[in-house]
Amino acid sequence: MDKKAIYDIVVKQVKELNETLPLEQQFEVNENTILFGNGSNIDSLSLVSVIVDLEMVFSDEYGHDISLTDDRAMTRSISPFDNITNLVDYIEEIVNE
Amino acid sequence: MYKDKVVLITGASRGVGFEITKHFIENNATVIGLSKGNSNYKHECYHHFSVDLADPELITNCFRKEIGKQFKKIDIVINNAAVMTSQYAMIMPIKNAVEMVNVNLLGVFFVSREAAKLMRTKEPGRIINIGSMASSLEPIGDSIYAATKAGISSLANVLSKELSCLNITCNTLGITAIETDMLNSHTANAQVKIKEIINSLPIPRMATIDDILNVIDFYASDRSSYITAQTIYLGGIN
Repeated sequence: MDKKAIYDIVVKQVKELNETLPLEQQFEVNENTILFGNGSNIDSLSLVSVIVDLEMVFSDEYGHDISLTDDRAMTRSISPFDNITNLVDYIEEIVNE
Repeated sequence: MYKDKVVLITGASRGVGFEITKHFIENNATVIGLSKGNSNYKHECYHHFSVDLADPELITNCFRKEIGKQFKKIDIVINNAAVMTSQYAMIMPIKNAVEMVNVNLLGVFFVSREAAKLMRTKEPGRIINIGSMASSLEPIGDSIYAATKAGISSLANVLSKELSCLNITCNTLGITAIETDMLNSHTANAQVKIKEIINSLPIPRMATIDDILNVIDFYASDRSSYITAQTIYLGGIN
């Protein structure tokens, strides 16, 4: 899968979450959107929900059974969940192995 | 009572799980039954999946590849499946001890985890664990079994915090002994021990299936949205 396709999937899932939030809590979704840690736009359980949805979409629609929260993801010096760019990079790496 | 509700029940093919299955079917639910073996029960609203609940990979695959595709949502989960070997700790076979942890504790965790992913709707969700008097009475010979049943109460309590934002409640029902094929499969000595325990309860009788269904209906009710992280024991145990 190319990076653009992965980016579109990730953005779609984050936008779907964003639309469930009250208007005053909604945020701009782009490659710089922070998902975890300082400045994050979403709480940790919402991030969990996005991760679950992404794992399901990649499995059901693209045949990639991926785990976004295994040891490899959690021990990286740069977290895949810091922002959308890092998450897309990480998913690209594991789906193309 | 349960029209339009999708109910997942583990250990659905026999014993208490089978009685719970029939109860939900009779009250117009769609039931997904999970058990290691097959089920002889036939009903248009009953859907059986054979899965070894001691194997997390098989549980996960069953949800991802079958249940998740056939059923877009789950409303109620009854974690009922359990195995029991009653034996002194020093001579408990390793295989039996490991199986109890895998089925009774980890199985409940993985089923709840995968089901919760399908419970992320705006509708109320209910996770109900079938616990045991053993977790409170801590009888000799039931070290692992009692620990796993205490464990699922703790599991429900933690999940109640994680899942409350999804309108999912998580509770445990600690049942006493009931006349089932599981009970009858025990040795004569074990059955004598169970009867002695029953006779020592504040209400000294075995549970009926209606005693169990009564609490399940209470936990499962839409009105019980403010009841979570609770363990109710039958028979006067606390």
